Amino acid sequence: MKKVFEVFLGILTAIGGFVDIGDLVANSETGARFRMNLAWVVVVGVVGIVLYAEMSGRVAAVSKRAVFDLVRERLGPGVGLANLIASFFINFLTMTAEIAGVAIAVSLVVSVSYIYLLPVAGFFVWFVIWRIPFGAMEKLFGLLGLALLMFVVTVWKLGPDWNSVLHAVSHPHIPTDETPFTYAYYGIALFGAAMTPYEVFFFSSGAVEEKWSAKDLMVERANVFIGFPLGGLLSLSIMLGATLVFAPRHIEVGQLSQVALPTAFVVGKLGLAALLLGIFAATFGAALETALSAGYTVAQYFGWQWGKHVRPDDSPRFHLVIIMSVLAGVLFAISGVDPVKVTEYSIVLSAAALPLTYFPILVIANDPDYVGEHVNGRFTNFLGFVYLVILVLVAVATIPLMIITKGGA
Amino acid sequence: MAEGRALYVGLKLLDRQLVDRDDKACGKVDDLELEFSADSGNLYVSAILAGPGILAYRMRRRRWGRWWQRVNEVMSPTDGDPARIPMSLVAGIDDHVTLGTQGGHLGSMSLDHWVREHVTSHIPGSGHEAE
Repeated sequence: MKKVFEVFLGILTAIGGFVDIGDLVANSETGARFRMNLAWVVVVGVVGIVLYAEMSGRVAAVSKRAVFDLVRERLGPGVGLANLIASFFINFLTMTAEIAGVAIAVSLVVSVSYIYLLPVAGFFVWFVIWRIPFGAMEKLFGLLGLALLMFVVTVWKLGPDWNSVLHAVSHPHIPTDETPFTYAYYGIALFGAAMTPYEVFFFSSGAVEEKWSAKDLMVERANVFIGFPLGGLLSLSIMLGATLVFAPRHIEVGQLSQVALPTAFVVGKLGLAALLLGIFAATFGAALETALSAGYTVAQYFGWQWGKHVRPDDSPRFHLVIIMSVLAGVLFAISGVDPVKVTEYSIVLSAAALPLTYFPILVIANDPDYVGEHVNGRFTNFLGFVYLVILVLVAVATIPLMIITKGGA
Repeated sequence: MAEGRALYVGLKLLDRQLVDRDDKACGKVDDLELEFSADSGNLYVSAILAGPGILAYRMRRRRWGRWWQRVNEVMSPTDGDPARIPMSLVAGIDDHVTLGTQGGHLGSMSLDHWVREHVTSHIPGSGHEAE
């Protein structure tokens, strides 16, 4: 019974923790501009993150080693360092966007400019990392994030014709006022939002923090195989809400607050309140995950003691990296950068850097030295390889598309 | 010299995690010191090198390595070569390298001491696990 509860709780937190600012922005933007014509990308992205999150979780549970711990061992110090620098930078952009998301969600309630709330948001992110135990932190924000189900309620209240929705999803085309380039660019943004590398750094380090072992693989798989696809459905409901409310009125999404408009429109005040709580929890949770990931990646590359399961006094360098990252992220956000733009760049650049994270995982998940009998099966390897090809194609196409479309304009 | 084990050091030793006898992570195997034995005609690993600047040296960034070593000397002065861990201190080698000693005095931990002393220990709660 305890096991059943654990699995259930894990699935709920996985759903609530799936969506972050990247998914909020990308799904709203693409719904408004492309209706449901890019929905298939979310499906492809969710299958990808399920595939690789399961692998990295399995590697971490069996070998007690997190992903970046193994990057240097397997790729060598030079390529490993290049990987670290790229991953750290992209993770930093994501973290900045998440902290800004927290501040914006709160600012909508208290009517103070989000700029003033940034230092407060940054402080609390650091404080939770410094003081709150890992398991409690994960569960709290994952469960609060379930308030995002208000997006599903919104779609239900909007009452679309489901046959035509299914038809639109299964017969995608490029809208007449868009080019193949903008279509591909926003497709990549959605893909990057679904497969963000930090999720893997965090997921595998979290497995080590929570001292998972091979016998926890059942729980891990339930989280990933059930929780993530349901999180993906939540993403699609954000897109559908934007499709139904924004697209017919030719409204483009340029601000995070717009993400909440469809809900405010059809569900009313209470619904909006719940949704804002959900957005707060989702961005706060992701801010914690990205800030921790900054520490995880650097500490694991250099072999420093890391983790929330030891005293800060025993992992001072790990905590210093987190403190400096959060501080720099807050300063960067205060400097007046557009949070939505930062989010867009973070997910698109994530997409460009995906092979750096996922290639080593595929290699290690096949190495009996690390995972023993739990190596990949044939089917997983086949899918893993197909995805690796997709990731490389996406990585090659990203920067040219960014230049051609002038950042999706 | 004690009987050695044959290992592909490039694959099985370099860049592995160092763990001390209290199970604390204390750096990675940044480089190795090799010794030629005239008796057997073999090369032996005589020490693990881990600590400030070593990795930069191995990656042929001598100037960065030297600069980083200077910074470390100023921040936490020690005598001798702190980054050298003789193989006699190694207790086990599997997917990580276990040392039979406490890691606190190792060169790879000097920055750890500095950060603890000057930054984290001044923040309330640094001595407790999160609870």
